[in-house]
Amino acid sequence: MRKVLPKACLNFFCILVYIFLAAPIVVVLLSSLTTTEYIVFPPKGITLRWYAELINHPEFMQSFTLSIMVALGTSVISTIIGTMASIAVVRYEFRGKTAVTQLIGSPLLIPSVVFGVALLQFFSWIGLAASPVALVIGHFILTIPFVMRLVVASLVGFDRSIELAAKNLGAGRLRVFFQITLPVIKSGVIAGAIFAFITSFDDLTVALFIVSTDVVTLPVRIYTYMQYQYDPIITSVSSIMILLTVILMVVIERILGVGKVFSSKN
Amino acid sequence: MSYLCLENVVKTFNKTEVVKKMNLEIKKGELVSFLGPSGCGKTTTLNMIAGFLDVDGGSIVVDGKPVHLLPPNKREMGMVFQNYALFPHMTVFDNVAYGLKLRKVPKSEINQRVLEALEMVRLSGYEKRYPKELSGGQQQRVSLARALVIKPKVLLLDEPLSNLDAKLRQEMREEIVDIQKKVGITTIFVTHDQEEALAISDRIAVMYEGRIEQVDTPVAIYNHPQTDFVSRFIGEVNQIQGHVVETFSGNQCKVSFDGYHQVLSCPGTKDTLIDFYLRPEKIQIYQEHSEGLRVRVERKMFLGAKTRYILQLKDQQFIADISNTVLNPDQIIEGQDVLAVWNPEELLATKK
Ligand SMILES: Nc1ncnc2c1ncn2[C@@H]1O[C@H](COP(=O)(O)OP(=O)(O)OP(=O)(O)O)[C@@H](O)[C@H]1O
Ligand SMILES: [Mg+2]
Repeated sequence: MRKVLPKACLNFFCILVYIFLAAPIVVVLLSSLTTTEYIVFPPKGITLRWYAELINHPEFMQSFTLSIMVALGTSVISTIIGTMASIAVVRYEFRGKTAVTQLIGSPLLIPSVVFGVALLQFFSWIGLAASPVALVIGHFILTIPFVMRLVVASLVGFDRSIELAAKNLGAGRLRVFFQITLPVIKSGVIAGAIFAFITSFDDLTVALFIVSTDVVTLPVRIYTYMQYQYDPIITSVSSIMILLTVILMVVIERILGVGKVFSSKN
Repeated sequence: MSYLCLENVVKTFNKTEVVKKMNLEIKKGELVSFLGPSGCGKTTTLNMIAGFLDVDGGSIVVDGKPVHLLPPNKREMGMVFQNYALFPHMTVFDNVAYGLKLRKVPKSEINQRVLEALEMVRLSGYEKRYPKELSGGQQQRVSLARALVIKPKVLLLDEPLSNLDAKLRQEMREEIVDIQKKVGITTIFVTHDQEEALAISDRIAVMYEGRIEQVDTPVAIYNHPQTDFVSRFIGEVNQIQGHVVETFSGNQCKVSFDGYHQVLSCPGTKDTLIDFYLRPEKIQIYQEHSEGLRVRVERKMFLGAKTRYILQLKDQQFIADISNTVLNPDQIIEGQDVLAVWNPEELLATKK
């Protein structure tokens, strides 16, 4: 009896938090269905008109494609570098190991605005113009810490005797890595890749400093569009972004379980 | 003709020699155990043979060819790990097939050899399971099948049974010896369980602090230990001191154990003290006997088939293990004086 009341309170509180977190998403999703010319919640009537309307806005499609490409590039590069770095950090002792770990983790500590300014200056200094490549560079620096967290977690507790067993059976170094090590830490690597993708795809702050008039990512496009117009196109584009992110989160959940991702030991 | 040869093999970790100039010759098809206390260098030696560790001196020769400079994947050694080390993302079939695939064996032959290997370890029908769906004993069998299916030159087992419970351990060790004899493969079996080593080995290499103390058949190791360490490490021993009262020609001495006189062959000089080891099961006790060492029964412990008697002589204790069919333990009362008797040939001379 004594434990029932606190438990009920806790549940109630948790539900409140969930509602608080989910409400904006629900508002955006629902208001994208409105028949009115302006954004309103609750929506008046139900229509997919604002999704169809997107066809008349090729700049959104362009930005969407660009964002996807940048996110894919970021994901691939940060997964490769992040995985290799994780293996080095977990398995080897080398001079300056702590420094490297701190350096790689530092983007998590620096406000992204500061990071964006720094990148802007750096890129203009080395003469790198606004381009998908510049965006990928900015993003993978941001996402490597996430990849490393996930991959390191799957490497801790990795039983290295299976690698010895593979060698013993005749496998060379590369074979051991691709046939034994990688498949075993696969879940961490995939989760890292998806996280990197989402982070890059959703990023506004850093991209704002890098984009130019013809290289504009989707979040930046939405942001600038909103400064001049405020119609439900915004909500339909946002809904598409949300759905894509949710799908990817579900994929991670299927592979790993979100609980596992966040309870990483390091 | 020896098949596997260790010649002056040395391994140093952080300037301490963990394996010291080790020499060992193993015949083809022989099962040799490495037996020794924890930290004596068994795993290190095995890892050098498998190629997981580089040798810091000496050489390892297999079938007439030096192998100590080859990487592990070129040595063709079959290793069975203490924790099985099965690939968790592969089925039993794929685990066993892995080495064959690397050797580019044709598919149909892989299929046949894997099934044969699994049959040999009595795991037919488990091909599609994943390692985590198997018991410890079953995992160990898969590991054995995986090592043997590639027909390695030498089979290396590092405490393969230590994660299993006592009963399964005994079953598995019989099984391993059966398979080993059937395949006829040269095998090194690392263990720190002396009963295991005595039961299965053709020869035992007793190791201590990075050195091989003695290599011999189980019977010879037990009955004729060559060093103090081997005497004390294998089985249990009593240490007993005798006083040389008379010497004869041909290394014969008359030795007195607190008045119990025995003539035995050992190099001794008159009026010196000599230490001997004596195994508990070699001592008999009598309430009345023509001669013997007079001791007091301090305690007796019933151990099923035998009884252990703790015997007190002045400030020294001995143990005697006597079969209950030879002596009914009810006849002996704690606190009683008895005569301890042994055959002088059972005394093991110490090497001090
Ligand atoms: N990689 C290493 N670096 C430093 N010292 C090591 C290393 N591996 C083993 N040693 C040391 O070498 C010695 C022998 O170790 P080894 O693992 O061969 O012992 P073992 O006989 O297999 O013991 P156990 O029965 O406990 O398995 C030990 O003192 C150990 O501390
Ligand atoms: Mg060991």
